[in-house]
Amino acid sequence: MLENVVLTRRHYVPWRLRVRNFTGGIASGLVIAFAILVAAGVSPGAIVNEFIVQVFLNSRGLAQTVTTATPLIMVGLGAAAALKLRFWNIGVGGQVWLGALGSTWIAINDIGPPEMRLPLMLAVSVVAGSAWIAIPVFFKLRYGVNEIIMTLLLEYIAFRLVQHLVFGPWQDPNTSFPVSEHLDSIERLGRLGWGNAHSGIWIALGAGVLMWLLMERSRFGYYAEAIGLNPVTAKGTGLPVTLTIVLAVLLSGGLAGLAGGTIVAGAEYRLTQFLGQGYTFSAIVIAFIARFRPIPIVITAFVIAGIFTAGETLKVFYSLSEAIVILIESVILFSVLVSEFFSSFRIRVLKTAPAK
Amino acid sequence: MTVQFIINWIATTPQFALPLLLACVGLIISERAGILNLGAEGFMAVGALTAVIVSHDFGTPWWGLVAGIVAGTGLALLFGIAVVVFRTEQVLSGLTVVALGAGITGVAGRSYMHQTVKGIDKLDLGFLAKLPAVGKILFVQDPIVYIGVAIVVGLWWFLYRSSLGLQLRAVGEDPATADVAGVDVAAYRISAVLVSGALCGLSGAYLSVVSSQVWVEGMIAGRGWIAVALVIFARWNPLRAVFGAILFGGADALTPRLLAIGADVPVYLMNMLPYAVTLMVLIAPTVLKREVSAEPTALGTVYLRQDRH
Repeated sequence: MLENVVLTRRHYVPWRLRVRNFTGGIASGLVIAFAILVAAGVSPGAIVNEFIVQVFLNSRGLAQTVTTATPLIMVGLGAAAALKLRFWNIGVGGQVWLGALGSTWIAINDIGPPEMRLPLMLAVSVVAGSAWIAIPVFFKLRYGVNEIIMTLLLEYIAFRLVQHLVFGPWQDPNTSFPVSEHLDSIERLGRLGWGNAHSGIWIALGAGVLMWLLMERSRFGYYAEAIGLNPVTAKGTGLPVTLTIVLAVLLSGGLAGLAGGTIVAGAEYRLTQFLGQGYTFSAIVIAFIARFRPIPIVITAFVIAGIFTAGETLKVFYSLSEAIVILIESVILFSVLVSEFFSSFRIRVLKTAPAK
Repeated sequence: MTVQFIINWIATTPQFALPLLLACVGLIISERAGILNLGAEGFMAVGALTAVIVSHDFGTPWWGLVAGIVAGTGLALLFGIAVVVFRTEQVLSGLTVVALGAGITGVAGRSYMHQTVKGIDKLDLGFLAKLPAVGKILFVQDPIVYIGVAIVVGLWWFLYRSSLGLQLRAVGEDPATADVAGVDVAAYRISAVLVSGALCGLSGAYLSVVSSQVWVEGMIAGRGWIAVALVIFARWNPLRAVFGAILFGGADALTPRLLAIGADVPVYLMNMLPYAVTLMVLIAPTVLKREVSAEPTALGTVYLRQDRH
């Protein structure tokens, strides 16, 4: 099959080629997504309006986009911290749930002095997220158990735990809905007075800057880069491979946990069984498209947030399922993945198949 | 009472175990050819929805199952072309296929949400079904359970006893050597991925049309991932997958049985059980150091003829 196609691995990919193929990948993904939307009954004019004008150029829409981008930036940074070192954290959503659980636990039990409550909630959400990923890190590094499946299963387990709590011990006695009690006002992140946008965006942007310093301006980031490129060589040159992986992956879980904490403290003000849904794949899409680099992650998260905001509108006015968002994300990622083929290999098509 | 409960529990286990078994065996075929296939959850989702649409619109559950197989195979073709021809990263491609499956079924299945369909009746095996205990467990099942077991045994025979199966395993262990021996690596890999898509599609169709007789968005609920874990537990052997599927299916079947007798159990914690059991059996053998991994050597790697040494 396809014996006349000869592939040669490129050891050096010229940046022009890389940029050209990446742009091509994104563009073809967008074209397919556009075609899907048109097929689903959204007119081309409306697509431009809903996906660009209403979500980035209109103040109300932009405020919603910023609100949605807040946790997306953090999960994107989190996913990248682990993926860069080739640790497949495919359970970012699980760590988001644990972060949300941790901060809600502090809030509904009124733990700590009132003035320290909010910082404590966020700190506990970081710790909870890290603790949740500590389980797969331990079993992966100590016993070589497959982390892809461990992190994934732990997300399902975390979600069942949240359901157990909001349908049981944590359920708000004043309602029959599966939600926890509302947070007190001192337990909430301040609103910016612009739509639903809240001060969590400063936390997210701060995390972006810190991750940039850590990953691109520090020794730790240099180690991480080396280990991601080739762990065996990194080990051979005497780098602290295990320690670096452990720290980076705990950081990954912590950032995802923080995202969960800010969703509770800034957007929802209580624990619900929907607030942590669907972050895992978005985090991977954002991290991968941004090539695991912090500043591009912030920008990509912002663009993906725009797709989410538009998805909400399409749901209401075009009665499309909100699954349109994950469909668009997956089409774009798929076409970026395929586009890499054209950078990684030099391709020659022969007229006749070569002898074996 | 207790004996009756256990018999009922074991008797409902096959319909929980079968979808896991079909998906798992499909994945084993794909991974034996060297393609790490994480897409099961996606193939199962499109299979489940398509089966409900066809069953409902044409009124025949059997054609629904066939349509589920076709849909799973279709999505698998996309995955296969990506990983085999375009050499995309297999883990990310698998995840993308899962997301694609969730997206497609969410958007296309909106008008079929909570659509119920007529299922497939259990077989009437006459006096066999009336045997005490054994009758209910072995002879009161729907026909797909027996067909499924036949498929699994057939695929075991194919993998271990046929020359095509030997070539398939060779492709997964050492593609360069297989290539030199004249085996078409790309063709085997694509075919193996298609088989996995077909079986996952059937698995999803079984879940929607036979088990629950309704389409609900997100109804696969991680069973595809459990099947992925089951592959490791089964050490890439279809017969061992049967035991694993019964174990996990049993864990899945326990909660509905307990609810049926009115036991007061924490439902959501009980729902955690299949995932927790999966996690345990994934970790335990490695920690206890009883076994070395049986993973196909070339699993997840890209094959280029030009890399051959």
